[in-house]
Amino acid sequence: MGNLIYAIIFNNYPDKLNSLLSGMKGMSGESLDVVTLDEISAVVSHIERAELIADQTSAMAFAGIIEKLEQHFTLLPMRYGSMLESVDLILKMLEKNYPDFQQNLQKVENQSEFGLKVFCDPEKLKEEMRLKSETADNPSAKSEEGIKKSVYLDYMNKKLKEHRLEEKLLNYIDLVIAEFTGKLTQLHAVSKIKKRSTATILIDAVFLLKKDRKDELVQVVKDSQNQHPELNFTLTGPWPPYNFVDINLK
Amino acid sequence: MSETKILCNTGTIDLSIEDISEEFEKLKTIEDSKLSLNPENADSGLAKLVLTLIELIRKLVEKQAMRRVDGGLLTEEEIERMGETLMKLEDKMEELKKYFNLTDRDLNINLGPLGDLM
Amino acid sequence: MGNNVIDQSKDITILELLDRVLTKGVIITGDIVISVADIDLVYLGVKLMLSSVETMEQLKAGKGINELQKNNSI
Repeated sequence: MGNLIYAIIFNNYPDKLNSLLSGMKGMSGESLDVVTLDEISAVVSHIERAELIADQTSAMAFAGIIEKLEQHFTLLPMRYGSMLESVDLILKMLEKNYPDFQQNLQKVENQSEFGLKVFCDPEKLKEEMRLKSETADNPSAKSEEGIKKSVYLDYMNKKLKEHRLEEKLLNYIDLVIAEFTGKLTQLHAVSKIKKRSTATILIDAVFLLKKDRKDELVQVVKDSQNQHPELNFTLTGPWPPYNFVDINLK
Repeated sequence: MSETKILCNTGTIDLSIEDISEEFEKLKTIEDSKLSLNPENADSGLAKLVLTLIELIRKLVEKQAMRRVDGGLLTEEEIERMGETLMKLEDKMEELKKYFNLTDRDLNINLGPLGDLM
Repeated sequence: MGNNVIDQSKDITILELLDRVLTKGVIITGDIVISVADIDLVYLGVKLMLSSVETMEQLKAGKGINELQKNNSI
């Protein structure tokens, strides 16, 4: 028998939690339980290891339970598949990580996570930049004209063009991010931003901000989209704070 | 699940859901690429580690070279010599990758909180 | 056409959701690999190695550190 852990919860209203859980079911229809240490609880259900199938339906059922809990309680979502064998081990885990859990729960209280991915058409974008740079570079064509004699110079020429294009692309991404984060400061959002995650995903970002400021964030994204019709801005949320649990479990 | 969580999804680029899934897949593989060494893969694991470091340094050299050329202070002769060197380095690297059966994606190591090496 | 937009929104939502629940969140230790090659997500392999004190000790000894750090990166 194992205990599948769904979330770590700031359990300030134990009665409310118990009545909420009594109306809910675990992933395979089993009942949900809590393991509590002072103000922090782990929501668990008893399930056989073998029952835990890693398919899309199960993972989504797991996420659905976390989502429902999050509507009523501040929580730290667990990754799908996190199990501990006994209640005793869960208690030990809670005890060892208590300060970290506490700190992270405070951080995410009343906040939601939002995800933003900015897609581009890499070929088109590079082509546009190449055209722009060619008209700009032409006056100083000395390096272009001059080096044509050897295969090595050709090679350098090609590399140089790639290098300049890449630099331009990075500058462009920095610019889009700077515009965006500039508008974001007044929302007091915590953000984690990755540049150039893939050739197509220029920006992959997650934000943590007050639940009631969702509409303002949507507006910021829409403004950026209008500014950059050549890109696709996809904003999703609100999510439980999956990307904002900075915990090194002990 | 009937609801969607898309708050905004606009723009002029036509991306199919297959394209998008593919990008998610790439995000995952980047995330998953970490170095694991064990008795079974000691040879290829070590080759991967060494080649990764060589590739990192090669790319740094290349980048620095491009900056110098861009600076405009090098003579044509110097640029040509540089080109020869960089081209040979790149060719050699391709050879080694082929020999050890490694792709560009293999030559990246996830450094945990530091992110990707390349 | 309108339906396509709705379908796509749903699919992106699912992708984002799975990405979160399978690769983010607090992790004890474990290794879940998914492939997003198709719209229906296919799991390549699942290895749930949680639960025993032994595992926890291994984790402390550095075995699962990569996993944990990965979890904290971004």
